[in-house]
Amino acid sequence: MKRLTKRLGSVVLIVAMVTIMLAGCAKEEAKFPNGPITMIVPFSAGGGTDIVTRAVADAAKNSLEQPLVVVNKTGAGGAVGMGEGANAKPDGYTVTTICVELTTLPPQDLAPFTSDDFRPIMQINAEPAAITVAADAPWDTVEEFLAYAKENPGKVQIGNSGVGAIWHLAAVAIEKAADVKFNHIPYEGAAPAVAAILGGHIEAVTVSPAEVASQVEAGQLKILGVADNERLNSFPDVPTLKESGYDVAIGTWRGLAVPKDTPDDVMNVLKEAFGQAVKEESFTSFMANSGLTIAILDEAQYREKMNSENKFFKDLVADIK
Amino acid sequence: MLELLGHGLAAVMNFEILFMIACGVAAGIAIGALPGLTATMGVALLLPLTFGMDAESGILLLLGIYAGAIYGGSISAILLKTPGTPAAAATAIDGFEMSKRGEAGRALGISAVSSYIGGTLSVILLILISPQLAKIGLKFSAPEYFALAMFGLSIISSVSGKHVLKGIMAGVIGLLVSTVGIDIVTGYQRFTFGNMNLFNGFSFIPVMIGLFALSQSFISLEDMMKKVSIKQSLHRILPTWEDMKKVIPTALRSGLIGTFIGIIPGAGGDIGAFVAYNEAKRFSKHPEKFGTGIPEAIAAPEAANNGVTGGAMVPLLTLGIPGDATTAIMLGALIMQGLQPGPLLFRDHAPLVYTIFVGFLIANFFMLILGFVGIKWFTKIITIPAYILTPVIFVLCIVGSYAINNNFFDVIVMFVSGIIGYVMQKLEFPASPIVLALILGPMAERELRKSLMMSDGEISVLFTRPISAVLLSIAVITFFMPIIKKTITNIRQQREGQK
Repeated sequence: MKRLTKRLGSVVLIVAMVTIMLAGCAKEEAKFPNGPITMIVPFSAGGGTDIVTRAVADAAKNSLEQPLVVVNKTGAGGAVGMGEGANAKPDGYTVTTICVELTTLPPQDLAPFTSDDFRPIMQINAEPAAITVAADAPWDTVEEFLAYAKENPGKVQIGNSGVGAIWHLAAVAIEKAADVKFNHIPYEGAAPAVAAILGGHIEAVTVSPAEVASQVEAGQLKILGVADNERLNSFPDVPTLKESGYDVAIGTWRGLAVPKDTPDDVMNVLKEAFGQAVKEESFTSFMANSGLTIAILDEAQYREKMNSENKFFKDLVADIK
Repeated sequence: MLELLGHGLAAVMNFEILFMIACGVAAGIAIGALPGLTATMGVALLLPLTFGMDAESGILLLLGIYAGAIYGGSISAILLKTPGTPAAAATAIDGFEMSKRGEAGRALGISAVSSYIGGTLSVILLILISPQLAKIGLKFSAPEYFALAMFGLSIISSVSGKHVLKGIMAGVIGLLVSTVGIDIVTGYQRFTFGNMNLFNGFSFIPVMIGLFALSQSFISLEDMMKKVSIKQSLHRILPTWEDMKKVIPTALRSGLIGTFIGIIPGAGGDIGAFVAYNEAKRFSKHPEKFGTGIPEAIAAPEAANNGVTGGAMVPLLTLGIPGDATTAIMLGALIMQGLQPGPLLFRDHAPLVYTIFVGFLIANFFMLILGFVGIKWFTKIITIPAYILTPVIFVLCIVGSYAINNNFFDVIVMFVSGIIGYVMQKLEFPASPIVLALILGPMAERELRKSLMMSDGEISVLFTRPISAVLLSIAVITFFMPIIKKTITNIRQQREGQK
């Protein structure tokens, strides 16, 4: 009897093990995704990149039927988080929010990866640079402003959000297009730069229109021009720099990407799910409330944009140094 | 305005809103008390929760967290010599000394009262004169920021206790460490050795956790063998009248200092607390007792860091520019609620603004109540035997320094700083100067170079602008005061010796 029990026991054990193994196999063959997806945000919680990612994650959890876990991996101007995202397993379970820094950091030797290490899912948001001055400044148009800058090389103090950051590069791009020389003053982010222009310490800033919207509405600042291909819905009266004859379109953007070797079937699931998410009412109204512009590009368009920016920023950075 | 305040009061006296404020303050205290979880992180983490709420409840929940977390930082600073937030670094100096004498309850009581006085004073100033205050904040350009940073650095000599020279040495080490990272003007990499984690310099919270908390745990590992237990007297939680007489004037003055530091964009609770500590010492009749655990030395930084909370809201609400990292997230919260902070906020949404004001006052009051109710529980922490408490602190150090950036490199930084901090304690080097230098060194460098860029290399710009000239003069006096005083007493002693 005792032996029988022992034998029965081992049979049960074997059956159990086989079942578990089969179950494991079955699980692996099941459709992607069958576990939580991690979304890496390369900037800190509460910032623009973070809130956009969290809003997308929230809108996508219905169609993916899996939890999306947002993790902030910060440091080195986004290089730490994006680096980790680029080196993740290419199985679709790690999605990274990529930002314009993906194309601005590598030419400055500040990141050990390039946009080629990623496979983009889609661009979600983009904000152009804009030339903003104090409301009582003597210039009312981009032409007047840049003409003054040309007559007084190195005199116009233009605030940016940090050396090598996108708004600094934007000012350099404008400098190059208009053949003028600015005095670039670096601030710790856009907000202190806006404070400095309100205090009358600098002449202009090149941050995004959304970052000066409340001061513009209050009549303290005015936007002379935006560095975009088309006029903005939020400021339809402000001309683009191209209209004024300066061929500059530069700005920040945010999108989603996975490591470069991610297979097509996984990509399609993610594209489908996030494509659905950005159309959800909850997401669009969230973006509108936050003053953020939805700018969708698909994989091919996004890839093309990054490739042209890689070249553009490489040339631009060479000019700074 | 009285009408609007009345409206605000009526709007806040609603169970849901009061409940949200209370929850915010309670969560804030817990977040603040945990090393590594700062007020900024607390507000950022709970921000998504507020999206579904109406504007009043959501904003006041976040303000409750802000006020609570800044107070909460003092709890661990006092009990464990581990500042829960950078704003409480100055509180650890005297707070822990008092707690070591078995008077943790007294120290926590003083901290709660002072935080309340500082916070409430700043909200009252916010209500009464925020547009005028905002204008002062805007006057600060690069030379003024540089002067403010130098003033902050000059405090090193007064927070160093009896070892002024060692304090200055520690400060210089801190300044050297703060030069690591990408040069802010040229973009050149300094001392990074190509390591991506060093591009933005050392994160200063892991350094602070290491220097204060981990090194303290090493010390308690030694003491564990000796089995010394401190008996905590908990009979008295409410501060005595004697204490209050010292605390109230200090807290009022420090709250004012904190509010002013708060309105300057970019200067936060950490700087405010150190400046107030220094000023309290200067105004004191017995400055030599600072560092030994006296009520004023706890009241000053605690009133100041909560004073910063109201001050930081001034530029946010009146100009739409956040005064510190926490209010930067608050800016996002307001925009999400369809409120564009800035000059038009008061015109378009006056009732809501005053509801926020009244709610902020109530948040400070809840902080006082919860602070007192909690003291009994908080102090239980140090009655936990060291063989349980010390490993728990070890874990908290690791989790806290990882949580800041979710980066393991910071944990290594924390361990190395902990070992350095331990050696420094053994050699009687004070740790606060390093923290001050790490916060203010980059600011001083950045603003000096910006001043020179804006003035075409003309150094006189630092001395010809009134605010910067005054601040720089105070900085020189502050720095040399302890040294001069010491020299004078030395000479006197020598003369007496000759007689």
